[in-house]
Amino acid sequence: MRSGTKTVKILVADDHDIIRRGLKQLLTSRSGWEVCGEAKTGREAVALAEQLKPEIVVMDISMPDLNGLEAARRIHKSFPKMGILILTLHFSDQLVRDIVEAGARAYIMKSDADRDLVSAVEALANHRTFFTSRAAEMLLNGFTNQNSVPDPEAHLRNRLTSREREIVQLLAEGKSSKEVAVALGISVKTAETHRANIMRKLEMHSVSEVVRYAVKNQIIEA
Amino acid sequence: MPRVLIVDDHAFIRRGVQTILHPFPEWEFCGEADNGRDAIRMADELKPEIIIMDVSMPGLNGIEATRAIRKTQPAVKIVLLTLHESADLVRNAFRAGARGYLLKTDAEQELVRALTAVIGDGTYISPKIDSEIARSVINEVSCHH
Repeated sequence: MRSGTKTVKILVADDHDIIRRGLKQLLTSRSGWEVCGEAKTGREAVALAEQLKPEIVVMDISMPDLNGLEAARRIHKSFPKMGILILTLHFSDQLVRDIVEAGARAYIMKSDADRDLVSAVEALANHRTFFTSRAAEMLLNGFTNQNSVPDPEAHLRNRLTSREREIVQLLAEGKSSKEVAVALGISVKTAETHRANIMRKLEMHSVSEVVRYAVKNQIIEA
Repeated sequence: MPRVLIVDDHAFIRRGVQTILHPFPEWEFCGEADNGRDAIRMADELKPEIIIMDVSMPGLNGIEATRAIRKTQPAVKIVLLTLHESADLVRNAFRAGARGYLLKTDAEQELVRALTAVIGDGTYISPKIDSEIARSVINEVSCHH
């Protein structure tokens, strides 16, 4: 904490009542930290950030109406000094990039909240950043690569749509086009078209190449 | 006073459940676990009357843990707490020996109601679960008891 007596105002945004409750309990166990507002959607978070001007926003990524990423982007645009912490259930390299790009300065996994939540908010209160260890590692590697040789795959990956990235994960997890279709509620034909587009964009010819790509980019765990 | 064990791999869910129960001192919090294996061990050691259990946890999931615990302690009442509204999951939960199925989205309003139902030898299924499914699962379970 900065001065020991100053209150840190925190806005909590998650669509589940029980998670907001738990987050509030974990956050207010620190003296000097105050949860000044609660939002159930990204849209509410944006409105409350404007109204309450908290120092910190702790926000889930998957919320109805407006998701946490988009909300972070809007809050960061209006209040670049506000510290935004994003909470997620799953880890992916694309997500880390999206989170950083949206202007959030901290990112933790929900499963690590008891260990990381307080440290992350503390870092934000001191105008520092905090990233879950996997993300920190990935960012560091990513930036190192960027400084030496530009990563051609990163460029190509950016051209995949979010639906295609979703399908890369399913294919890499060993699902057939039919299983992908069932999982996403689309036709087998559409799933096959997506698959062909992915192979073309990544310039790959087999699913095993896609698996290697997904492992390398931490889309799936090896 | 029924003693309650809370099992969830997410700390803030465990804290959330605790704070929901806080105004109701008749439900005594006796311990918490963040995985299925510890849940089995603690159920054995602490002998709680009620276990509130998450379904998706790394390692041993909540359904498997429920099955294991009910084998050694048939009297314990287990309420599964989950995000998933799947009919198959409800059926599997009750077949494994759970007596309650509570959605995390309903927890704030319904937790105490669910605990009250199962401690009185009843069953509980979140109102958001399709009532046909709920009825068929409860029928199947009561036939086996």
